[in-house]
Amino acid sequence: VTVIASPSPARVLAFLGVAIACIGAAGAYAWWAAQQRAKVAAAITRTEKPLQSLPAAPYLLLRVTGPGASHGRVALESLGASDGVRSVSTMNCDRVHAASSGAGRGICLEAKRGALTSYHAHLFDSNLRKTASFDLAGAPSRTRMSADGTLAATTVFVSGHSYSAPGFSTRTSIIDAQAGRMIVADLEAFAVVKDGQPFKAADFNFWGVTFTPDAKGFYATLQTDGRQWLVQGDVAQQRMTVIAPNVECPSLSPDGQRIAFKRRVVPAPQGRVVWQLVVRELASGTETVLARETRNVDDQVEWIDNREIVYSLPDEATPAATNTFALAIDGSSAPRLLAPLAYSPAVVR
Amino acid sequence: MTYSLDTKSMSQLRGARWSGLSPTVYALGLTSLLTDISSEMVTSILPLYLVFALQLSPLQVGLLDAVYQGAAAAARLAGGWCADRWQRHKQVAASGYGLSAACKLGWLAAGSSWPALSAVMAADRVGKGIRTAPRDALISLSSEPSRVGLAFGVHRAFDSAGALLGPLVAFAILAALPEAYDVIFVASFCIALAGLAALLLLVRNPTASATAAARPTFAQAMGLLRIKRLRSVLIAASLLGLATVADPFFYLLLQRSAALPVAWFPLLFLGTALTYLALAVPAGKLADRIGRGRVILLGHALLLAACLCLLASQQHKLWGALALALLGAYYACTDGVLMAAISAWLPAELRASGFAMITTATGLSRLVGSALFGVLWQTWSLQTAVTVFAVALALALLLTARTWIRLEHLP
Repeated sequence: VTVIASPSPARVLAFLGVAIACIGAAGAYAWWAAQQRAKVAAAITRTEKPLQSLPAAPYLLLRVTGPGASHGRVALESLGASDGVRSVSTMNCDRVHAASSGAGRGICLEAKRGALTSYHAHLFDSNLRKTASFDLAGAPSRTRMSADGTLAATTVFVSGHSYSAPGFSTRTSIIDAQAGRMIVADLEAFAVVKDGQPFKAADFNFWGVTFTPDAKGFYATLQTDGRQWLVQGDVAQQRMTVIAPNVECPSLSPDGQRIAFKRRVVPAPQGRVVWQLVVRELASGTETVLARETRNVDDQVEWIDNREIVYSLPDEATPAATNTFALAIDGSSAPRLLAPLAYSPAVVR
Repeated sequence: MTYSLDTKSMSQLRGARWSGLSPTVYALGLTSLLTDISSEMVTSILPLYLVFALQLSPLQVGLLDAVYQGAAAAARLAGGWCADRWQRHKQVAASGYGLSAACKLGWLAAGSSWPALSAVMAADRVGKGIRTAPRDALISLSSEPSRVGLAFGVHRAFDSAGALLGPLVAFAILAALPEAYDVIFVASFCIALAGLAALLLLVRNPTASATAAARPTFAQAMGLLRIKRLRSVLIAASLLGLATVADPFFYLLLQRSAALPVAWFPLLFLGTALTYLALAVPAGKLADRIGRGRVILLGHALLLAACLCLLASQQHKLWGALALALLGAYYACTDGVLMAAISAWLPAELRASGFAMITTATGLSRLVGSALFGVLWQTWSLQTAVTVFAVALALALLLTARTWIRLEHLP
């Protein structure tokens, strides 16, 4: 006599009951979450207007975050938005940056979310029309335009199928924004010099490009062997020079005198990485920690002028929302909220 | 409730059910389908969640990978042995499924703290490690020996269908509620609970009189290694595992050498998964007919062909498409078939332990293979690494061919 394990009708019914209850619970949570989002959206402190074209500088370009209907759109505010008005475009970008000169060119990095999520970079003109598009290798991380609008840089995370794939890496590209073509698809193709010697390893990763005011050179982060370095690059010569350790996501001030960056700090007991904002004088190499910001800023900062920087931080109450803050580099004041529910700030001056 | 049946009515019953498979196999298939929908929902949005919602740089994620792999291997062996020791396969598997289900809420609770996120990631893998061997033992113990290949094929088809559906469910949610990652985690948790319910309510532990009273000791489990045939298979499978190009490397080289637009990258996984889904059942049937060892040998020959197509994909993109299809066929011919192959001579009371041993051996040998591949890649190039691995795989095939062909008749 053999015993076959077969579920009784009662058990099949019980399973169906549990399965329906589970789906019902998921649906109920989704409904509740949608209600919560609608409540937060109603509390936004900005009056929204449609944006058709970019005005004359200066202004702040940003990505709208939070649960509102404009979520993910590119929007524009006057610096400080004393009028409380936010002009919202129909363009969806995860990262955005722009320059004032010429046709008022900008770059938009987009994650087209779907079962097969794809990633794209778009150049756009002052009427927010896309003039050129490029496929990206992964989730957008950073993007910058040179001040004259001739060059653009993108950094994306190149990931495997899942988090179990062997590590993430970054890919950084430089684009000729006038011609709408790629100058270098992967910065790893450029030569690197360290202490006067050629420097090369298979684990090179670059991220966080910032262009010099003349749009001929740039600064970026190089990571190899678990360490991060500040590199200074030359686009025409296709080479980079290592100039200092422990610098990530550099951002050059408008006068080209100093860079603001985030520094990786690992407090011993927790072993958790936290970020510190630091300003480095390029001529002397002097570094100053911006101690007035005590929160964990994981962003490539942007400069309002030569005295003040802006960056985004996650909102404490709303999931997947960020706020944008401004901070004086002389330590004279605490950070101030520049734009609520805003990410990827780009100061166009 | 169980039905006691004599052989005559049993054969009638079989006629009524497709291919005569036990309902347990379908119930386990349903469990895996739901669990894979749940876990792939999370896996597919995790990079977006870390980068866009938490604003974290995922560069650090890969760091602890080796530690997790070790923990998963230990969990796999422990899960297999505990299931045998207590003869409670369903309960041990349920603890693994339950742990992974809890991890779905763990992602929400972890917030943006790296140690907490790492802990959730590790716990999820431990859960997966615990459940695999007892679940496969349940499949094999509730199937007729001549149809174990088909049973595993059916189960793996359910499993990969879940992996294909998961991302669709996740992005349907994101389309309706932008950035609503919390809804995805909660929905994933609910679907995982339904999977757990399918296991607890629809699957029963096999109650064959031979194993019900057995409480095999650890020494007896280790004694499995004295079975010469099992040793031969462990060695042969490990040799092949050493010469296997890991998926991420495979896709990376394919994308680069065929110069595919990077936006196509996710389509590569889809191509492999669809082939696997389509071929899992036919491969299982074939294994039951011509011998499981031969199908495993065929599978690795297909992997070798896939490597050659990969190298040829620089010439024409069609070779790349063929490489993906061959990779899917390789999975169909090896993953479940290997379990079917050894279940024939694993004692029923130690089946989960035996399965845990073989999956650990192949898993670890692939890990070593990946490390070697990485060294070759860094020293020379991806092309060189694949060429070396193709040659090594050809050698491993020659060395182990006799074992696989004569598997059913090994002394």
